[in-house]
Amino acid sequence: MKKTVLVLVAMCMLILPTAIFANGQQEDGKILIGAAMSSFSDKGQTYLQDGVREFDAENDDVEVLMTDAKDDAAVQLNQIETLLVKGVDAIFIVPVDISALKPVFKKCKEDGVKVVIGNRMPAEELWGEFDVYTGSESIQAGILQAEWVAEAMQPEGGKVGIIMGPLGHEAARMRTEGNKQIFAKYDNIEIVMDAEGKWDRAKGMQIAENWIQSGANLDAVLCNNDEMAIGALLAAEGANLADDAIIIAGVDATPDALEYLGAGLDVTVFQNMNAQGYNGAIAAYKLAKGESVEKWDWIPFETVTPENMSEYK
Amino acid sequence: MSQQKILSRPSVGAFMSKYGIVVIFVGLCIILSIMSPVFLSMRNITNVIRQVSIIGIVSMGVTFAIITTGIDLSSGSMIALISVVVATLSQNAMNPDQPVSIVMPIAIAVAISLLLGIILGAVNGTLTAFGKIPPFIATLGMMTVARGAAALYTRGRPVGDLKETFTFIGTGSIFGIPLPIWIYLAMGILAHILLSKTKFGRHVFAIGGNEQAARICGINVEKTLVKVYAFAGFLTAVSAILLTARTSAGNPTYGLSYELDAIASTVIGGTSLSGGVGSIPFCVIGALIIGVLNNGMDLMGVNAYWQQIAKGVIIVAAVLIDARKQKRG
Repeated sequence: MKKTVLVLVAMCMLILPTAIFANGQQEDGKILIGAAMSSFSDKGQTYLQDGVREFDAENDDVEVLMTDAKDDAAVQLNQIETLLVKGVDAIFIVPVDISALKPVFKKCKEDGVKVVIGNRMPAEELWGEFDVYTGSESIQAGILQAEWVAEAMQPEGGKVGIIMGPLGHEAARMRTEGNKQIFAKYDNIEIVMDAEGKWDRAKGMQIAENWIQSGANLDAVLCNNDEMAIGALLAAEGANLADDAIIIAGVDATPDALEYLGAGLDVTVFQNMNAQGYNGAIAAYKLAKGESVEKWDWIPFETVTPENMSEYK
Repeated sequence: MSQQKILSRPSVGAFMSKYGIVVIFVGLCIILSIMSPVFLSMRNITNVIRQVSIIGIVSMGVTFAIITTGIDLSSGSMIALISVVVATLSQNAMNPDQPVSIVMPIAIAVAISLLLGIILGAVNGTLTAFGKIPPFIATLGMMTVARGAAALYTRGRPVGDLKETFTFIGTGSIFGIPLPIWIYLAMGILAHILLSKTKFGRHVFAIGGNEQAARICGINVEKTLVKVYAFAGFLTAVSAILLTARTSAGNPTYGLSYELDAIASTVIGGTSLSGGVGSIPFCVIGALIIGVLNNGMDLMGVNAYWQQIAKGVIIVAAVLIDARKQKRG
């Protein structure tokens, strides 16, 4: 009997705070925002997370609870459910796999929790599920990258290879699609090679080495991200190819890539991850306060070349 | 009587049962050289072996573990952790943005990294041998911890700006042959001698054949297992150093699913997952089969989606043919 009472009391103590603070404000009047991040160990994502932290540090009336899904959709689902239990007022999600999140979207609607999606563009059939999207259109990166490369290859044109991110990954697919759309407009440019570099420098290096060995005489290698592009340029260096013999293009403008820009790497595309994180947090904050926010918050990509790289360092 | 007959008759079957995977490897090379004329060029051959060296060295440690009926799932993550550690110790200058950054002579940085590999491996071995945890779980734990530690150590970011004396390990050549190939060769000889010519090697096979019997014969099973995993850790560290030097950076995302490639190389090389059987030269052949496949498909410009399917099918087919030949032989 005693035990049962004890257990009941303990359960009440656990449930009570969540029951009281479930909707609306926290104990100390702060707005509580959940930030369900995809991965703390993905370098690009860490800049986005820094943007969220910046916002958190600048605003005293907000508390941001950040979670790391380790790139696992199931883990993220659990974490978002936990955030909802903790009573967040709005939630900023960088989805691992947005289609896996359908159950929480429903719960968010029931609880009146506003949803901001960041960085990874949801498919069209999910557009009704969230309140704000802040990010860039992946295809734009591929378009900007290929436009620069195609212009640099004129008037001769030539052959190009594309080193892609993980197959089936939205950014990898769309960046490649953007490349293809642009090259389709040029009669004198042909895509002769493609391979999966899995965002990885070593893998990108291996593929580029093999391509150089193959005698395909590629004029340009476009990579879905900078790490693979650095791999490709190290391969070109290793094969003693002259810097101007091959155009190498990346995406992300990471600090490492900027070091190589003009020294092997010819162009990269900057995705303002920091702004995505910061804007995502602002959107969540405004929504939590009941303010209205534009549904689409596009952060444009920017082409970075040795000429303008100083702005991005 | 019948066994003697098989031994004394040098039949095709007996040859195939022993060297089936070598025949498959040679066949694959012939096919690829017909389909891509540059395949057999000296430059491409050194290119392939250099690419294989990283997984190849790891897979030799995995071979030891698998012979004892164990497994090592932690090698990929350990590569990530050791790569960031060795990178932070081999930079040109202190980097204030990093949590850890120490400038020191390359030899010391390499020694520390090798030691780290040995320690992490020994932890795997101790958990398995003395903690009585199945090696699958012990190394799975290490896999998760090491990946997390690597990300934590660098806040998830890559570590670049490495000294040229360090990157030389991965990019330099001696007598026209890339350094990674020399190191692969040296590690191969070391592992081969350890496995086939020493008491330690005999103990490894004895444990894999029958642990109880090995114990009765007076073999210190626990101590041997710790040594096996420590050696695997050492080889993983060598790979990590090569990878870091070759790519001029350490990165907590390195080595993703390398453990699976290493296990695949080992198994293609005829090492039995039920233990007691395996050899280092065949493990090298196994790694070369995977390397040659990757290389050949890139040379021919095979579409990325098809590459994965082809790779999986060929790996399974190679082992299947090998297994059938062995049964017949």
